[in-house]
Amino acid sequence: MARTNPIAASLSTATTTREGVGGVARALRLLQVSAFHTLLAVVAFIALFPIVWLLVGSLQTIQELYRGVTFWPALPQFQNYYIAWTKGGFSVYLPNSLFYSTVSVLAILLAASMAGYALARIEFPGRGAVMFLIMAIIIVPLPATFIALYKLLVDIGLANTRTGYILAMVAAGLPIAIFILRGFFMRQPKELEDAAILDGCSAFDVYWRVMLPLARPGLAAVAVIEFLRLWNEYLLALVTFNSETLMPVQRGLTKFVSSDTPEQHILLAATAMAVLPVLILYTVAQKSIIQGIMEGAVKA
Amino acid sequence: MAVAAVTRPRSRSRATRRAVTGYLFLLPALALMGVFTFYPFVQGLTLSFQSWDGVGATSWVGLSNYQRVIGDNIFWVSLVNAGIFGAVGFVLGNILSLGMALAVNSLRRGSTFYRVAYYVPGVFSVVVVGMMFAWILQGSVGILNRALGAVGLEMLQRRWLTDPETALPSVALVYVWFHWGFGFLLFLAGLQGVPRELHEAASIDGAGAWGRFRYVTWPQLIPVTTIVSVLTLLGALQIFGTVQVLTNGGPGYLTEVPTLRIYKEGFQFHRFGVAAAMSVVFGSILVALSLVQIWLGRRSYGEGE
Repeated sequence: MARTNPIAASLSTATTTREGVGGVARALRLLQVSAFHTLLAVVAFIALFPIVWLLVGSLQTIQELYRGVTFWPALPQFQNYYIAWTKGGFSVYLPNSLFYSTVSVLAILLAASMAGYALARIEFPGRGAVMFLIMAIIIVPLPATFIALYKLLVDIGLANTRTGYILAMVAAGLPIAIFILRGFFMRQPKELEDAAILDGCSAFDVYWRVMLPLARPGLAAVAVIEFLRLWNEYLLALVTFNSETLMPVQRGLTKFVSSDTPEQHILLAATAMAVLPVLILYTVAQKSIIQGIMEGAVKA
Repeated sequence: MAVAAVTRPRSRSRATRRAVTGYLFLLPALALMGVFTFYPFVQGLTLSFQSWDGVGATSWVGLSNYQRVIGDNIFWVSLVNAGIFGAVGFVLGNILSLGMALAVNSLRRGSTFYRVAYYVPGVFSVVVVGMMFAWILQGSVGILNRALGAVGLEMLQRRWLTDPETALPSVALVYVWFHWGFGFLLFLAGLQGVPRELHEAASIDGAGAWGRFRYVTWPQLIPVTTIVSVLTLLGALQIFGTVQVLTNGGPGYLTEVPTLRIYKEGFQFHRFGVAAAMSVVFGSILVALSLVQIWLGRRSYGEGE
């Protein structure tokens, strides 16, 4: 057996002990194997059903939805999306989200890679203290500080502004990004760096020209998981924005629900628009997302 | 020695330069985290002794915010509710994620598909998950009630999110659905780290499937289990957006959770001082739990060596 594990092993013991019974044993084993695969498939169905149900519902007419016998709509209703885009305000929310997420990801990559490089490679007094501080920041999560953060934004005149939201989002994303990138820089060979220093490169040149290109896979992983986090962020957006013209898509979605009381089919199309970019990103980059999430969890 | 003495002044200036370089590299990150993370943390403590309506000036009110928090039954109920979500997530989520990780790990083909499929819920936002399940659990035309009706189980049909008996369990199950994939990924990674030779050696020694799990696999998974359990608990305590969309804490306060309570206290009732005091109490609990996790993590890694 190529891989030993409890379940497959129990299947094989079942066959060896019942070898004498022949056909019955084989039938039993077949039953066990198919029960096992059915379980796997049922769990996959439960995991995937809600999104499938949302997507097919978003293409139905309101009559089809309420009659509830349709799976695939007789005629896909793409105008549901058009209505959500125009009347639902998603022509504003989606570009906003794209803007916030992109700018914040770039800022996080720059600030976190600089900090991560310094913490990995430059020896200076207080390095341990800085690491400790970052750890300490990670264990105080946003739900415990968002009231005070709101007060700060009001005090410095950045409540209900794009700048305030982006700065707060970047700050919130930094600690984990620094941890991941620091780990990445620590794994790089030192020789290239030493050679560059001998050639007379400044510290910034070494970082920018030598280390950053080497860390490209790490930067990509951080970029993908941070983009996902920023796109899905809700609490800070709820607290920061009053103006609908500034809202990102998650905030816009709850605004749409509460103020316009839209019909169900439009609501489903609006939700689908909020989630489709994430689904596409996950399909394309699932490997680095899964890896990044696991690294972040173990480090934090 | 003589050489060292001669070069010392030079090396000291080089050390200073290196320190300056180091801090220059750290400056953007430290400045941002200082202003937008560390300062609000301190200000939160101050605000918890003040009164603020969200726009005007603040005034000192001593301990009265905390007195109010202590007397606020709904806040304590919300903590209990979050604890229930945590307990359900801990028991059900751990069983599901460990069980499915064992199952997928035993596959020779198709494990990539299941790994990707099982994590799909984890990439959705709290709002999207709320919207999806509000539609599935909808009372009159939701698919769950329709499916129950179709198989002759009409007596089980109900308004899942507004019925006092089912609201909390429904939200808890949505939470498990949303987050179990995370534990699944970590368990799967942990299982792949268990050396195959150990299993083979145990088989030769006559260990059965259960024996091999109990004495070979499980000891290797203890560190992962600690991480998954504490992160599940911490995540459950911080649950917010999904609950706001699904029930907004109702019916009554049966599904109220701390973050939602703090949000309402501040942004609906304009008692930001009380909200800040709640945040301090709530934050202390979260920090205490994280410290327990760090302590447990150190201990179990220590034992593993």
